[in-house]
Amino acid sequence: MPDALLEKLRAAVGPANVLIGIELSPYVVEGRTPEAAVFPGSIEEVAAVMAMACEVGRSVTPWGGGTAASVGMPTAGAGLILGLRRMARLLDHEPGDLTATVEAGMTVEAFQTALRSRGQWLSLDPADGDRASVGGVIATNAYGPRRHLYGSARDLLIGVTVVTADGSVVKGGGKVVKNVAGYDLPKLFIGSYGTLGVIVEATVKLRPLAEHEELVCVRFDRLKDAGAAVKAIASSDLIPNAVELLDGAAVGGAGLAAGAPGPPAAALVVGFDGVREQVDWQRAELARLTGPLGSRDVRQLDAAAWPRLGPAARGAFATPAAVMTLVVLPTQVADIMEQGAGIARGRGLQSAWAAHAGVGVMRAALGSDPAPTDPGAIAAVLTDWREIVHAGGGHANLESAPLAVKSQVPVWDDPGAAGRIMERIKAQLDPRNILNPGRFVAGI
Amino acid sequence: MPTLTDSRKLELRRELETIVGRGAVLSDPDELMVYESDGLTLFRALADFVVFPTSAQHVSAVVKLANRENLPFVARGAGTGLSGGCLPAEGGIVISLMRMNKVLEVDYENQIAVVEPGLVNLHLSWKVGPRGYYYAPDPSSQQACTIGGNIANNSGGPHTLKYGVTTNHVLGLEVVMPDGEIVWLGGKTRESCGYDLAGVFVGSEGTFGIATRIVVRILKKPQAVKTVLAVFDAIDQASAAVSAIIARGLVPAAMEMIDHLTIQAVEDAFNCGYPRDADAALLIELDGLAVGMDVQADHIVAACRESGAREVRTARTEAERQLLWKGRKSAFGAYGRVSPAYMVMDGVIPRTKLPYVLRRVNEIVAASGLRVGNVFHAGDGNLHPNILYDPRKPGEEARVVAAGAEIMKVCAEVGGSISGEHGIGLEKADFMPFIFSVADLALMHRLKNAFNPSGLCNPGKIFPTRKSCVEVGPVAYRPHAIEEKGLAQRF
Amino acid sequence: MDTTTHASPPAATGPLSLHGLSVEGVNQCVHCGLCLAYCPTFSELGTEMDSPRGRIFIIKSLAEGRMSLSDSTVRHLSLCLDCRACETVCPAGVPYGRLIEAAKAEIERDRPGTPGRRLFRWLNFGLLLGHPRLLGLAASGARFYQASGLQRLVRKTGLVRLLPGTLPAWEALLPPVPAKAERAAPPPLTPAEGPRRARVALLTGCVQSVIFGAHNRATARVLAKNGFEVVVPEGQGCCGALNAHGGDHERAVAMARQTIDAFEAARADAVVVNTSGCGAHMKAYGHLLADDRGYAERAARFAASVRDVAEILAQEPLRGPLSPVPLTCTYHDPCHVVHGQKIKSEPRKLLAQIPGLRVAELTESDWCCGSAGIYNLTEPEMATRLLHRKVSHVLATGAEAVVTANPGCILQIQAGLGAHQAAAIRVMHLVEILDRAYGAAGGGR
Repeated sequence: MPDALLEKLRAAVGPANVLIGIELSPYVVEGRTPEAAVFPGSIEEVAAVMAMACEVGRSVTPWGGGTAASVGMPTAGAGLILGLRRMARLLDHEPGDLTATVEAGMTVEAFQTALRSRGQWLSLDPADGDRASVGGVIATNAYGPRRHLYGSARDLLIGVTVVTADGSVVKGGGKVVKNVAGYDLPKLFIGSYGTLGVIVEATVKLRPLAEHEELVCVRFDRLKDAGAAVKAIASSDLIPNAVELLDGAAVGGAGLAAGAPGPPAAALVVGFDGVREQVDWQRAELARLTGPLGSRDVRQLDAAAWPRLGPAARGAFATPAAVMTLVVLPTQVADIMEQGAGIARGRGLQSAWAAHAGVGVMRAALGSDPAPTDPGAIAAVLTDWREIVHAGGGHANLESAPLAVKSQVPVWDDPGAAGRIMERIKAQLDPRNILNPGRFVAGI
Repeated sequence: MPTLTDSRKLELRRELETIVGRGAVLSDPDELMVYESDGLTLFRALADFVVFPTSAQHVSAVVKLANRENLPFVARGAGTGLSGGCLPAEGGIVISLMRMNKVLEVDYENQIAVVEPGLVNLHLSWKVGPRGYYYAPDPSSQQACTIGGNIANNSGGPHTLKYGVTTNHVLGLEVVMPDGEIVWLGGKTRESCGYDLAGVFVGSEGTFGIATRIVVRILKKPQAVKTVLAVFDAIDQASAAVSAIIARGLVPAAMEMIDHLTIQAVEDAFNCGYPRDADAALLIELDGLAVGMDVQADHIVAACRESGAREVRTARTEAERQLLWKGRKSAFGAYGRVSPAYMVMDGVIPRTKLPYVLRRVNEIVAASGLRVGNVFHAGDGNLHPNILYDPRKPGEEARVVAAGAEIMKVCAEVGGSISGEHGIGLEKADFMPFIFSVADLALMHRLKNAFNPSGLCNPGKIFPTRKSCVEVGPVAYRPHAIEEKGLAQRF
Repeated sequence: MDTTTHASPPAATGPLSLHGLSVEGVNQCVHCGLCLAYCPTFSELGTEMDSPRGRIFIIKSLAEGRMSLSDSTVRHLSLCLDCRACETVCPAGVPYGRLIEAAKAEIERDRPGTPGRRLFRWLNFGLLLGHPRLLGLAASGARFYQASGLQRLVRKTGLVRLLPGTLPAWEALLPPVPAKAERAAPPPLTPAEGPRRARVALLTGCVQSVIFGAHNRATARVLAKNGFEVVVPEGQGCCGALNAHGGDHERAVAMARQTIDAFEAARADAVVVNTSGCGAHMKAYGHLLADDRGYAERAARFAASVRDVAEILAQEPLRGPLSPVPLTCTYHDPCHVVHGQKIKSEPRKLLAQIPGLRVAELTESDWCCGSAGIYNLTEPEMATRLLHRKVSHVLATGAEAVVTANPGCILQIQAGLGAHQAAAIRVMHLVEILDRAYGAAGGGR
């Protein structure tokens, strides 16, 4: 990086907030070292940094907690890391309006703690909440098991402030929960992986904390039966806030295998919240529904089990060889789990599967002990998995895998003709292609 | 835009007929006149043609023809919109979707339905009702408005506090792009790959293309419903009750508030049993599990009483529940019976600012020598001031429009927005600078260019007509550009 | 930028009217569009001009001078069924029925059409409907026509088209015309059975008395069983509903005066009607004759005394004993009862009291069957579309009989069921089934 640029950056954000050389080791991703890491402390500073980078055509990677830094295609240039950790304040919380505005660099957990003190919460439970930033969670559309009832960022983000590639500061949405003035810009930035702008502030819808919450685990001897139970729940009057389907391997990965004679083939983990009466009734109703479907047992879980659910598939292996996210119709989940596991076995690999079963989103981890070394076999399984998902009308993205595998299996699925529209949007918002170039879908 | 000579019009008419069939093209001036407005008769604009396609291929072919002839085009559903959104502001072709109105597919297990854009919103709920399901977004016009129109405006309704708006229930759309290409945005799964194009398309007011198939979510009907009516002597108390309910950790399915003038109009017109001298009435609906609902209802009653409610009634039967809602649902009809005309405004504000905003609204309208009745979706801060006036009295209409602009400024001032449900359309395009900066609007323009580079798809909507980039902040009311061009009139 | 735009002339000043009849009601319309989804023609066609909102707009534009009676304008207005379903849903209370009638009157004046059409209208409105005896004569002719085998011949050879007036289309719809004896009116006076509740005067109607004389007699019997003394006033003729709905305004007014005269003489507490269009029309006599100095007050009083037969019978529980009628039926609401008079629950209340009767709800029960007066003759294509819609809903109920309360609907639905090979499903008048419950075997004659 030319000294002139470094000096300008130091002047913009303060010398202590520009890292180079050895200090960059936390920001090395898949063997790529950035040129520098810059930590602005205000929107104006972010804008100044972006304007500088744009002027000289340097690529920029926005960085929150870094928890998803290795997701996506390797970006083209090494470029600049733009870290948001200095912008981590809760700007506004209006309990009477059930809204809050927060700087993008605040971690999800810190945000939730502040909200909880006034009896409210953001109904989003992505993994690694202690490190992931609100901005990052929005940019990656991250969510957890409670997506089942409470939706995702799409249903919670009502306003966003973004710095675009040329350093302009723009606002989309607003501070009110119902708003149709102009285009729905917040939707554009959700899940855009930092390719359209740097999220600096977000306004979200909140919910009051529920009086009571419970997590119930129902274990099965056959995955098929657990799948039938998911359908039964969907057509019942139950209103769970989470419906997680885990195969045998993931049950182990989530630490739920204990206390059973022999490993269960599957487990259904269901969450309920509300007033005590409602939780009690639903727990009993769940047992009543699943009994005739071949459930082995029904146990209440400790609240500590929640964070283990999302990463359950990955947790089945010491070092998973690859993790894929498959998006299908809810009714297809159990079948694809079985088929997918069979495909992996056919290539001498093991797999673990955990699904947000009511939503149709599953994570599948590939592995074996000792860790497999043949990227070809891994790639073949992933490709086959993608095919069965396509047959059902869904899509699959590679969440993590070694570079050798990523070079054989496209990280992102094909968006079809819509990809051309996405390219045009990118060209309009980032004509010089400096934000995370090449990282995203359709080569964006 | 080229001038269309009569003979050219005739040729184009014939060509359109070969695409959509004879009997599916209107070009007679008398018939075009009937399409000059939507639900807001303040604005009128004439199309050159109105066509009635019955397939995406038809729509695509018509759009391609429009591109070739450099003709603007705009989609239209039932025409119940309140911001002039489906008016052919620059002439051209109105593409009516009313003959594409089928439910194509229902998948109860996966809780989705695939429908055509001309399907009436309520008809979808009727269709899936017998199996115990419904379509949640329920705008007050749902007996007439179409799913396609709901997509354009990201429509809401009284239940958005708990269930969200249209965009929260749309998974995918087959769209005819402004250049005629047919593309799927999103699909049947709950997440899509890449940018959320479906999410961006919803609420784009017909400027990004025309949806020809829509995948929506359907929900199971709640096990139980409970409705409470609270009557207050001061509107501030009603507002406090709303906050108190939320503070108790409750998220009702709906919270609707009506003010003093509205209560009187409703009583005069329909005799619903509201106390005529009450300052405000709050209608609250809970839905969900039967278990625990009584406890929750008790909380609501307590919150209302603590806030000073004069009277609180809980419906014990479905018939009683309908009666409680009748007062709220009769509001618009009641205005129509006590005043020759009224203008429905649409603003959003943070809930906690309601008492202040209502005071300002009443001041502004009184200063214009008019009266106003307020209906408020208390659950989400969406305010509908209804300004009563007589269109035959000279100058009244202009005063109504001016008062409307002032009200929008107040909404912007308190951190709200200038539209909660009805969209910007034509009506509020000049108010956009109240809440958006030049940079904000520039970004929206760029997004539009990605979809609609030719600008032929529903031109003249959303964006302020003044090209000057320097005007930011409150803009004094001016005639709309289409009026200056003689293409539209206010009357 | 130029487009060929329509320069709108300034709106006319002063109250709006067509054919001298006020259409001020158009100003109540707020253009909300809630009527669209309930309008049968809009549901079939999807075009705004064929919706109530669109038609109100056309009527307003005509009255203001912004539009003229072109072919297309006349077409769209003529396609209106005048079913008034829109009035039921309109939140602003637009009196649509009056508006469309004024428009149709204007059309008749300004665009009477071909000589053939004028002859057709004179034959129906002027001749047949205006003179009950002529109608009776025509019916006798029709009976002879059927009984002698002539009908079979005419239908086979297609000579039917040579018949004058409404008769060709009635021909197609004609059930077997009963013998003259069977067409007899109820006795001039039917005493009440048991404690007398009130004295009522019965309108025997025009078409009703010719084809469905049995219904009138059944009406008298059922009313008598429930304590009503039933008088059939002499000198009554057609009430003028068909004329008014068809735009023949002047004759309608004359018929109204005549009807009021005939019924006033009967000195009854109420006027009972068993046909939907007549009931709705007579309840609006006050409005029709509002400008008539001699009749205004009498018309208002008369109108206030009109009752639909279901309306008056449902006021109190039916007097027993009622025999079981083991049948599954479904109820079709005639438009001018359900929309024109807002009578929906009363017929169902009555049916519910008949032991053994199962009533299946009919989807779109209050949607027009396409009969709409003489609409099925003037707009056969749309009438047929709506009839198919109605019949498929009827078939979906699995009912053995359709119960309704209007002769036009009965003829129309009967024809529709026949066309669907479902002629085994009977179409009955509400009073017929009540009559049966009162022990008249097979529906007494």
